[in-house]
Amino acid sequence: MKIKLFAATAVLALGLAACGGETPAPETPVAEAPAEAPPPAAEPAPAATASIGETPADPVAFMKTRHENYEDLGKNFKVLLDNSKLGSPDMAAVSAAANKVNDYAKQMGTWFPPGTGPEAGKTEAKANIWTERADFDAKLVNLQTEAGKLVTAAGTDAAAFKGQFGATGGTCKACHDKFREEDKDK
Amino acid sequence: MRLVHWLLVFLIAASWWTAEEGEMQWHYWSGLTIVGLLVFRIYWGFAGPETARFANFIRSPGTVLSYTGKLFKPDYRAAFGHNPLGALSVIAILLALIAQVGLGLFASDTDGLESGPLSPYVSYEFSKDAGNLHEDAWNILLILIGLHIAAIVFYLIVKRINLITPMITGSRKAHAVEGPPSGIAPVPLWRFLIGVALAALVVFLIVWLPTTR
Repeated sequence: MKIKLFAATAVLALGLAACGGETPAPETPVAEAPAEAPPPAAEPAPAATASIGETPADPVAFMKTRHENYEDLGKNFKVLLDNSKLGSPDMAAVSAAANKVNDYAKQMGTWFPPGTGPEAGKTEAKANIWTERADFDAKLVNLQTEAGKLVTAAGTDAAAFKGQFGATGGTCKACHDKFREEDKDK
Repeated sequence: MRLVHWLLVFLIAASWWTAEEGEMQWHYWSGLTIVGLLVFRIYWGFAGPETARFANFIRSPGTVLSYTGKLFKPDYRAAFGHNPLGALSVIAILLALIAQVGLGLFASDTDGLESGPLSPYVSYEFSKDAGNLHEDAWNILLILIGLHIAAIVFYLIVKRINLITPMITGSRKAHAVEGPPSGIAPVPLWRFLIGVALAALVVFLIVWLPTTR
């Protein structure tokens, strides 16, 4: 009886803990950086960063470009997603979009130099990109691998493309889940 | 009718949960099932039994006002079918649900990773806006559902009228209700089956049409 009660309590506690774990963390306040004269960006924790690139002169402009690149990436990905649902995908469009995605994936390592995180302005990039850089980079390598395969698959046939599409999308999502703030982009 | 109501309750909850958890494949199917239920409910609003028909429960503003006045009198008896005020709630929730699934069908996220079945027919920008509206419109739905539940609780506690049990069992004591003692006249089975077929057809077309392109 006692054991049962204990087990029940434990299960309940676990359940609560799990729920607690999923509660979204309170939004980190985002400093609205003025357009000109951005404040000197706080140096990110030096220990973790295998920094790629130097802090740009104008972090806000840099981040805006980064955002636009991601928008364009999303746009190209929608072309792929839409075509993955069609009976006969437009393979020319698929190839063009896959190449675009692959190009962006190759550049992406230079998109997150120090000083372009939430401390510098409005962004969905979370601070842990810079504190857990090794994992970020590993996930980026996964994307690059799968994006490369996507280009090959897109050049093969519709079935190959549909098969590879999910794997490539999965690498995007894996990184977003950990390193991207949810729902600021509206 | 009652089954449709409780299925909607379950599926709306499921849609919320699957969206929160990022289980988009399940969300896709729960949303499509809601589409089917809505098609059936709209059809039933024209072909169903008298209490289900829109023509019988959408009343003039005057009727709604006079009903609201009667509601606070001690000799109030429950209305047969939807009462004139509750009918507004039914219509509001149905419209909000139609808008919600309509947006969801065309929606996609900002990454082009998840999207509704009809997203291939619209641009990235449109689809993304639909996705954001789909998220915002959820709050409207929540408010309407909240009002609906508040009204049920009001009847239960203030008027001592239990509207929940009849919604489960389908019957209530005739003397407490204004209306024919014989209750709701039955509807032939074939009319029900046409509704089911219509709902299934719409869902099938939504899933199947993009694959023909």
